[in-house]
Amino acid sequence: MRLLKNPFPQAFLVVWGLMTALPLLWVFISSFKDDNEILSDPWGLPGALRWENFGRAWTHGHIGQYFLNSLIVLSVSLTLTMLLGSTTAYALARYKFPGNRLIYFMFVGGMMFPVFLALVPLFAVVRNVGLLNTLPGLMMVYTAYSLPFTVFFLSAFFRTLPTAVAEAAMIDGCGPFSLFFRVMLPMAKPGLISVGIFNLLGQWNQYLLPVVLVSDKEENYVLAQGLAALAVNEGYRGDYSRLFAGLTLAIIPVLIVYAVFQRQVQSGLTAGQLK
Amino acid sequence: MATVTYAQASRHYPGTERPAVDKLDLEIRDGEFLVLVGPSGCGKSTSLRMLAGLEDVDNGAIYINDKDVTNLPPKSRDIAMVFQNYALYPHMTVYENMAFALKLRKTPKSEIDVRVKKAAQMLQLEDYLNRKPKALSGGQRQRVAMGRAIVREPQVFLMDEPLSNLDAKLRVQTRSQIASLQSQLGITTVYVTHDQIEAMTMGHRVAVLLDGVLQQCDTPRALYDTPANVFVAGFIGSPAMNIKTVALTDEGAIFGQMILPLSRDQIAKARAEGGDGKVTVGFRPEECELVSATEGGMPIVVDLVEDLGSGANVYGHAAINGDSERFVVATDRRTMPNLGDTVFVKPRTDHHHAFHATTGVRI
Repeated sequence: MRLLKNPFPQAFLVVWGLMTALPLLWVFISSFKDDNEILSDPWGLPGALRWENFGRAWTHGHIGQYFLNSLIVLSVSLTLTMLLGSTTAYALARYKFPGNRLIYFMFVGGMMFPVFLALVPLFAVVRNVGLLNTLPGLMMVYTAYSLPFTVFFLSAFFRTLPTAVAEAAMIDGCGPFSLFFRVMLPMAKPGLISVGIFNLLGQWNQYLLPVVLVSDKEENYVLAQGLAALAVNEGYRGDYSRLFAGLTLAIIPVLIVYAVFQRQVQSGLTAGQLK
Repeated sequence: MATVTYAQASRHYPGTERPAVDKLDLEIRDGEFLVLVGPSGCGKSTSLRMLAGLEDVDNGAIYINDKDVTNLPPKSRDIAMVFQNYALYPHMTVYENMAFALKLRKTPKSEIDVRVKKAAQMLQLEDYLNRKPKALSGGQRQRVAMGRAIVREPQVFLMDEPLSNLDAKLRVQTRSQIASLQSQLGITTVYVTHDQIEAMTMGHRVAVLLDGVLQQCDTPRALYDTPANVFVAGFIGSPAMNIKTVALTDEGAIFGQMILPLSRDQIAKARAEGGDGKVTVGFRPEECELVSATEGGMPIVVDLVEDLGSGANVYGHAAINGDSERFVVATDRRTMPNLGDTVFVKPRTDHHHAFHATTGVRI
């Protein structure tokens, strides 16, 4: 009924939805085609479900290796980001000490600093510590890169949590550590989940940093980098089906994360406004 | 089973002029229910939080039994506290909320279970043990907060206005429950409230604070019968005592044509220390009567009549020494006057209180 009264918002959403979904759908469909079909009939459906495209992408295109690299890097960098970010944010939000504001504003400043300006010195620093072209180097840089926003977001979140609960926990017998891990951290769960997902997606899709820091060693490429390499190579070689299959493989995990945690992402974005 | 002693304990927030709590001296006996009462900002909550270890003590000391706890962290003081907004752990069930402190102390699981179940039974919370606080009503949350304190079996209970978030009816009901629970458990309790009725009905003794200074600490009856100064006289009792500063003669205090007699001793004290021929006199609304014109009462013109069902409060004004002064009288509903009537008020003999006109101290 309301649709008839004012169709504009719905129509707008439909158009936007199509604009977002169609290219994705096109990639998925194309990943089942062979090169001939892609070139001669780009809008048509595949003649058969060619799963071997994915196999080729996984092995010949090294997507499997890149996928694994991304997983390894993220499993460490994301854990570190969340652990360091939440502890830092908590200390900044709940404890008074000289220099508190200064540290906080340095993190906020870090958020505004364009990463492009830091690339060259960053490269030098990573090379000096001998972590160039290695996964641990990427882990550390990812962590440092994600911390400012994480700290900014979480300290705002910790500030909204009621002090009385912390006091009750201290009276119940919590020291600083059990207070943090057993009471405050669980209470901050909505915030942790949303900033965690945000970081997961950001680090998963990170392209610039690995291109600069892991450029010489192909077996250490992460997924985004690998896909780019694939696109360039396949473009010359003409194996478009492998390229689309690789793209699909890269997109799917991110889509799954979004689908599963959709509600938390939304509630995290609006958290801190209420209560 | 513990005593609590404040010895000259002070708290001075940086950047403020006067201390929030100023040299508080207070001894709380074993098993006693002591109520700290006063208007907002009087330092009652701060005093409690100093005892809890949530607030620094800048000067003086606090003892639990004979142990100096002034610089101990909250967890080493063996106290339990009930907060105004309950401060339940939102991510834990009712059971986990109550068991949390015991778990931290590595109490065996079986014993935790026994103690939590027992407290839950005492507070009629058995059906809610698996719920999260979010799914409870205000009264139930309040009981969980009580339960969390009870399972601890601490040396001292601290309660910071635990009833102020409940509706009026539930508040009265819970008031008596807390008082009987406390006498059942026999645990020393310090209770903060701004509500003097709560203070009078629950406390074995009541400590009245104003601006960080202890005004008087005594049994509810003594506070009511012999308030130590003008502030306590005006604060305790509802409706508040009629307190006026009037001229003093050799016979007593002059209220228009009515004279409230004072003893020679009182008159001498009232004249000392710059009393300036004046005295402050108070009489309670419920300790005076409406009399006929010939019985020597003070005439007042009725402004407002509150019919409470059980009785009535009559508000009126009278001209005393050229100023219009307000008075309240609690009266029987049968003798309830109408608005605009002139009635005659007479305090019952020897039921008035006299205070020094400038210092406010009882004389």
